[in-house]
Parts: sequence; C-alpha cells; structure tokens
Amino acid sequence: MSETDSAQVKRAPAPPAAPRRPAPAGPLAGRWRWVAIALLLAAACYAPFQLVPFHVFQLTMVLVYAVALLGLNLLVGHAGQISLGHGAFFAVGAYTTAILLDHWDGMPYPVTLPLAAGVAFLLGLAFGVPAMRLRGLYLALVTLAMAIFLAPLLKRFEELTGGSMGLTLAKPAPPAWSGLAPDQWLYFLTLVVAVAAFLLAHSLLRSRVGRALHALRDNEIAAEVMGVRLSSYKTLAFAWSAMFAGAAGCVYTWVIGFVSPDSFTVNLSITMLAGLVVGGLGTLFGPLLGALFVMFVPSISQDINDAAPGVIFGLLIIAVMYVAPTGLAGLAERLIKKIPRKE
Amino acid sequence: MSTLEVEDLTAGYGDARVLHGIGLTVGEGEICAILGPNGAGKTTLLRALSGMIKARGRVRLGGTDLAGRSPDALARQGIAHVPEGRGTFMPLTVEENLRLGAFVRRGRDGVNADIERIHGYFPVLKDRMKQAAGSLSGGEQQMLAIGRALMSRPRLLLLDEPSLGLAPLVTRELFRIVQAINAEEQTTVVVVEQNAHLALGIAQQAHVLETGRIVLSGTAEQIRADEQVAQSYLGYRV
Repeated sequence: MSETDSAQVKRAPAPPAAPRRPAPAGPLAGRWRWVAIALLLAAACYAPFQLVPFHVFQLTMVLVYAVALLGLNLLVGHAGQISLGHGAFFAVGAYTTAILLDHWDGMPYPVTLPLAAGVAFLLGLAFGVPAMRLRGLYLALVTLAMAIFLAPLLKRFEELTGGSMGLTLAKPAPPAWSGLAPDQWLYFLTLVVAVAAFLLAHSLLRSRVGRALHALRDNEIAAEVMGVRLSSYKTLAFAWSAMFAGAAGCVYTWVIGFVSPDSFTVNLSITMLAGLVVGGLGTLFGPLLGALFVMFVPSISQDINDAAPGVIFGLLIIAVMYVAPTGLAGLAERLIKKIPRKE
Repeated sequence: MSTLEVEDLTAGYGDARVLHGIGLTVGEGEICAILGPNGAGKTTLLRALSGMIKARGRVRLGGTDLAGRSPDALARQGIAHVPEGRGTFMPLTVEENLRLGAFVRRGRDGVNADIERIHGYFPVLKDRMKQAAGSLSGGEQQMLAIGRALMSRPRLLLLDEPSLGLAPLVTRELFRIVQAINAEEQTTVVVVEQNAHLALGIAQQAHVLETGRIVLSGTAEQIRADEQVAQSYLGYRV
C-alpha cells in the first residue's frame, strides 16, 4: 500500500478552524491558462508574416504533428492505453485525402478533412475492439504490427495508392481575397484545424467522458464499479485518438502535396510516441511541445554532428527525460511554481 | 423493496473456489455486518455482489435478478461498492472523484445538490475539492470513497474494511457517519469489517464467515453475546 503511505506522509496538518486555501490544480490554472493561450494564438497569427517561407512551412508541420499528438495524448496520456502504431492512422488520413483528391476531379479539398477523419475513426473503432482485451506490452505489440504491415499494404493496390511511387497532388491555392502567399495560406488552414482539434479535445476531456477515461487510466476496477463500461470507453478512446491522427494526416497531404509508403514507416509511429512522452503525457501543452521537439530537434542534431544525427537525437531524448521525467510540460510547470508569488 | 437476497452464491478466482454457497437476506434500510477471520471470503463476497468477479447463484436486489451482470450494469442497478483500499483516483481532484461517483446518473440534475449533501456528511472534503485526491490522508480518502459511492444514490452500499489503516478515532467517526447516512437515506448497507466491535455497534444483523461458508447468523445482539464466537472468530472476550 505504498500509495496510502505516501498520501499519509504528504498530508499537511489540517487546521480545523481556518480551512487552508485550496491549492490550485496547476500553475496555469483558470484565467492565466487562457491568457497564455491567447498570447500563443496571437503569436501564431503574427509569425507567418515575419518568417521566410521555409520556416513558415516548418511551423505548419509543427501544427500538423501537434494535432496527431493531441489524438495520441487522448489515448496514451488520458486513457492510459498504448499505441506503437499511430503512424498508421496518420497515414490512413493522408492516403484517404490523397486518393479522394486524385480520383475525383473537382473534389473540394475541405471536404476531405471530415472524410479522412471519419475513415480513421472507423478504423480506430475496428482496432479498438481487439485492443480492449489487451493491455501493456501485448497492446504495444499488436499496434506495432499494424504500423509494420501498413507500408507493404500501401504498395500493393497500385491503381489506388500509386504503389511505391506514391501520389502527387496540387496543394490548396490561396483564394484571391486573402492576399496570402501559398505557404501562409497553408499555415492558416492548418492553424484553424489545430485550434478546432484543440477545442474539441479539451471539451471532450472536461466532460463526463473525459472523467471516465481518467478513471479507467487511474484505477480500472474502481472505474468499473463506478459504472464506467470499460469495453466501450477503451474502444472509443482508440477511435477518437485515431480520428485526430487521421485529421492530421489529411492536413499533411494538403501541406506536402505528396504521399508515399516511405513517408509513413514504423519510425513515424515511434517518433510520435517519443514526442508525446517528451512533451508531457496527459498535459494540455504536451502535444504542442512534443511536436516542436520532433520537428526541430532532428535538425538541431544534424547541426551538432553531421555524421550521427540519430545518435544525438536519441541522446537528447534521454537528456530531456532525465531532467524532466514528466515531460517538457511538467518541467515548465515546475519552473513556474518556483516563481515567488505575491499574496 | 430494496431487499438484498442472496442464495447459494459460489465464487472464486480461477480454479480456486472461495465462497461455497452463501445465502443471506438483508432487509431494506438495514445494516448487515460480515465478520470473520482473514481469508474467510469476506472481500470476495462483496466483489461477487458488485460483479467484480464472476459468481454463480442467485442475487436479487428489490426483486430484480442481478446474477451474472457486469460491474457497470450493477452500478446502474444501484449497487455502490467501496472497494478494499478505497479505489481512489489519486491524480484526479476530490471534486472529479465525487463527480465520477455520479457517473451512472443521467443528466446534471441534483449532482451539485448531492455534492452539498456529501459535504454535510464529510465537511473536511469541502475544503479539499480542488486538491488531488492522492494528497488526502487515509481517513479523508476513506470519506471520499464513501462520499463518492453515495453520489450514485445507491440502493445498496457495500463497504469493504472501512477501518483499514485508520486511527481508532477516525474509524469511530466514520462508523458514526455511516450510521447517520443509513438512518437518513434508508440505504441498505453490507459492511465487511475486522473490527467486529464497531461493526456490531451499528449493524442490525451479522453473519460470521469461515472458509467461504456462513457459520453463524443472527442479530447483532445475538452475535455479540455468543461467547464462543467472540473468542474464536472475533478475537475478544465478552
């Protein structure tokens, strides 16, 4: 009963007369959290007008990965399941979009977003059914298998998927009224999707459903006797999580304008999970921080040592986990707490 | 109407059978104490009643047959189980824990009013609402677990060793509150307890369990007066 013991130790002497002020749930609780988000959003709207197109593209990709990690965070960080194959859902979203745009002339690209998300959702539901019976390493293995068999599968149906050559598409062009450059238009499209995804995930987690997911993560048996049907919620967590990854994949296709099996290797799935853990599991800003990490740290590693970027990247992950075992979001929270507050 | 009737209940873990044909009846609004030595099957009995483990036999609550249903279905039928070790959701706040207790209820009506009601029974929780439940003391966590169970407005409340790991004063307070809850809400209560003295103090009837069988049943008074039982199973002299 180590949990009980630590709870006993942590307990502060409770003064019965004067109830102590309840500690805030986190340093970024309540109003300040929204101020931080508003500032972040303002900076996100301002940035593309100040940066060169390549950097705008990099930021766009950060947002794409952030949406995917948001989905993975639902599953891993909030529902306590594991997936080593989320790149597959990302790929399914990307390929659904590419196939739709490639085979139907005049298909308006915004339509592909709900369709790609929907296909990924259904696939997630289908995978969620076996997944609800598995846990830990077994679940990790099954999801890893999903990521492994995807690339050969995509090479098979050449007429549909373009085989190993992949599919090349025209990127969405900015409408004349916007007055934006192509890279800026893509950036703002992605930003809108990312903000919508963020709001959706946030409201999902604050609802009864979110509480059910947290309950099954923290104590499966207690959750069940509270009336949470484990099988439904585990399956749904998988499906929702896949839906976000699928939406991210769709936006990826818009932004890159090209899909091929080699873009969605097992490496992508592993990187996504690593990014999320580095960013901070189950936190609000973890997916964004994780996306920044997976986007920029590989190129920083390249700068440090041209010969072995992989090694440097790995070492950096180890270094981050050593100083911030709860991820970058946890580290930020600890640092903010150290700032002395005026009463 | 919320009478609990159990007939010929057998249950166990894998091949190991722990309960061998348990039969008991608890009247509506009654408190029933289950006593017995370690390993007698007390916790297993509660787990079988809340569906946590598979059981065979007949279990009826208010005339509805509940045998073989899943834990979440039983929760919807009005069975609230405060499991051994409390089952606190440590990282969640006290408030989130309480709201999870109302998970089986549709709609928000009355949930806030019920939180007020729980604060009435356990005032200490009111000051801790935004705190992580894992930061509470053992006694506070036990109060939270009982409060959380009450949030579902249960017909049957199952309490597994509420005194475990708590100071004697806290335990006594806790039993006093359980008695008050039972008196005010007419909730039927089955309480498993090592501290026989306290349990018999609030129960109307009691059963003594040994190696998966009921060896003695009676009113709390009768069980308390039975000298042999007191010495063999309850560990104290009359």
